[in-house]
Amino acid sequence: STSSVLSAEKDKSTSSKGSTAEGASKRQEGTAETPKQKLLDIIGNMKVEVSYRKKLQELKASENKKQDTNRLEGPDSEGPQRPAEGIQRGKPLNPELVKAASAVASSLPLNKKQTESELLAQLRRHEETTDKQKKGETINIRNVISEMTVKKQSPAQRGVRISSRISLELDDDGQRIRPERFSSQAFNSKRYFFFFFICRSLKVGKRLNIFTKASTEPEHALKTVSSPTIWDLEFAKEIAVITAQPPRNGFEEMIQWTKEGILWEFPIDNEVGMDDGAEFHEHIFLDKHLEGFPKDGPIRHFMELVICGLSKNPYLSVKQKIEHIEWFEKYFEEKKELLQE
Amino acid sequence: MAAAALCWALRAARKVLPSPCPGQVRSYYVDWRMLRDVKRRRLAYEYADERLRINALRKNTILPKELQEVADKEIAALPRDSCPSRIHNRCVLTSRPRGVRRRWRLSRIVFRHFADHGQVSGVQRAMW
Repeated sequence: STSSVLSAEKDKSTSSKGSTAEGASKRQEGTAETPKQKLLDIIGNMKVEVSYRKKLQELKASENKKQDTNRLEGPDSEGPQRPAEGIQRGKPLNPELVKAASAVASSLPLNKKQTESELLAQLRRHEETTDKQKKGETINIRNVISEMTVKKQSPAQRGVRISSRISLELDDDGQRIRPERFSSQAFNSKRYFFFFFICRSLKVGKRLNIFTKASTEPEHALKTVSSPTIWDLEFAKEIAVITAQPPRNGFEEMIQWTKEGILWEFPIDNEVGMDDGAEFHEHIFLDKHLEGFPKDGPIRHFMELVICGLSKNPYLSVKQKIEHIEWFEKYFEEKKELLQE
Repeated sequence: MAAAALCWALRAARKVLPSPCPGQVRSYYVDWRMLRDVKRRRLAYEYADERLRINALRKNTILPKELQEVADKEIAALPRDSCPSRIHNRCVLTSRPRGVRRRWRLSRIVFRHFADHGQVSGVQRAMW
C-alpha cells in the first residue's frame, strides 16, 4: 500500500505541476479538485491496518507538496487562504486538507472527532515547522557541529582522570587509594592550554540561536502560592540541613562564625553597628527638635540640658536621641494639668 | 510586646536554643537561679531607656518637686526585676554566684580547669 501511496503522490505532484502551466484563476480549482480526489481515493482504497503515523506522514507530504506548488504559483492566488506568512498560529488551514483530515478520521475506527482534531493540530504544527525551516530559524545541526573541535587529551591527563575516579574506592584497610601525583607543572600547563582552547572557542563563531531569550512573564509572579504548605516548609528545612555541612577545617569554621556574627571581620572596624550615615550636625545641633516645648520656664531649661548631654554622647544614634526628646515631649504633655497649678 | 514576651517565655523555660554546631550542646540553663538572672537581664534591657529618662527627671534641681514626686511613683511602679542592680554576675557554666572572674564570666574552679588544659587563650601558670 505504501508503493501505491507514493505513486499516487507522484501523480498528484505531476498533476499539480501540470496545472501551473494553466491560467491563474483556473489553477486554483484545478489543483484543488484533483489532489483532493486523489487523496480521498487513496484513503478509500487503503486498509484500516495502516498506522496512524503513516497517515500523518502522507498528509504532511501532501501538504508540503501543496505548499511548494502554491509558492511556485505566487502569493496572488493564495491571497484568501494564506494571507500572510508571518501569521503562524492563526493561519487557516487549507480547506482540502481539512476535508482530507475529516475523511481520514471517519475512516478510522477510533473516536472520530478526537482524531480529526488531533490531525488538524498535527497539520498546523507541520505547517509551522515548514515555515520556520523555510525562514531558516530552526537549529541547523551542521552549524553547531562545525564549531566543535575534538580536543586531544594527553595521556597524563587521562591517567589522572581515571585514577581520580578510582580513588573513591577503598582499600582492604579502609583507606582510600590516592591518585599518583604526576608532575604538577606539566599537568598544569596542559590544563591551562585546554582551558585556553575552550575559552577561545566559546567566543568565536556566529550565533547559533540555540537558546531563546526568556520572555518576561509577569504572570509567573502572580502564580506564587500565598502561603507555603507544610510540605514546602519541610522540604526547605531538609535542604537547609543537607547544605549546612559541618566545616572541614579551621578556616571554614572561622568563615561560618564570621557569617553568623560571632567573629569580627578583620581588619577590625570600630564602627560596625553604629554608622547610620548621619552627619555630625545632626548629632550636635538638636535645637530644632525643641519646638514642641514652651519657650520659658524650668522645662525649657531642663530640655536644653538634656540636649547638651545628648549632643556629647557618641554612643547613641540620631534616631535614639530623637526618641529620647520625643518621650520627654509626650511626658510633659501628659503632666500638663499637674503643672498648671 | 506581649507576643514577644510570650515567645521568649516559651523558649526560655529552662531552655537555651540549641545551635546547629557539633560539640557539646547544653539544652537547659544550669539551675533556676540562673534562669531568674537571665529574666532580670532581659527586663533590665527592655526598661533601660525608661528608667534612664525617669531618673533624669528625678535627680534634678530645676524641675518642680511635684513633678519629681510623680516620677518617683512611676519608677516604683515599674517591675522590680527591671532594676539593673538586681543583676548578679554568676558563672556562665556552673551558675556559681561567688568567685566569678568578670573577664571570662567563669567561676574560679572552671577557669582553673580550662586554663590547665590550655583552653583559655593567653593564660599560663604563673611562675617567677
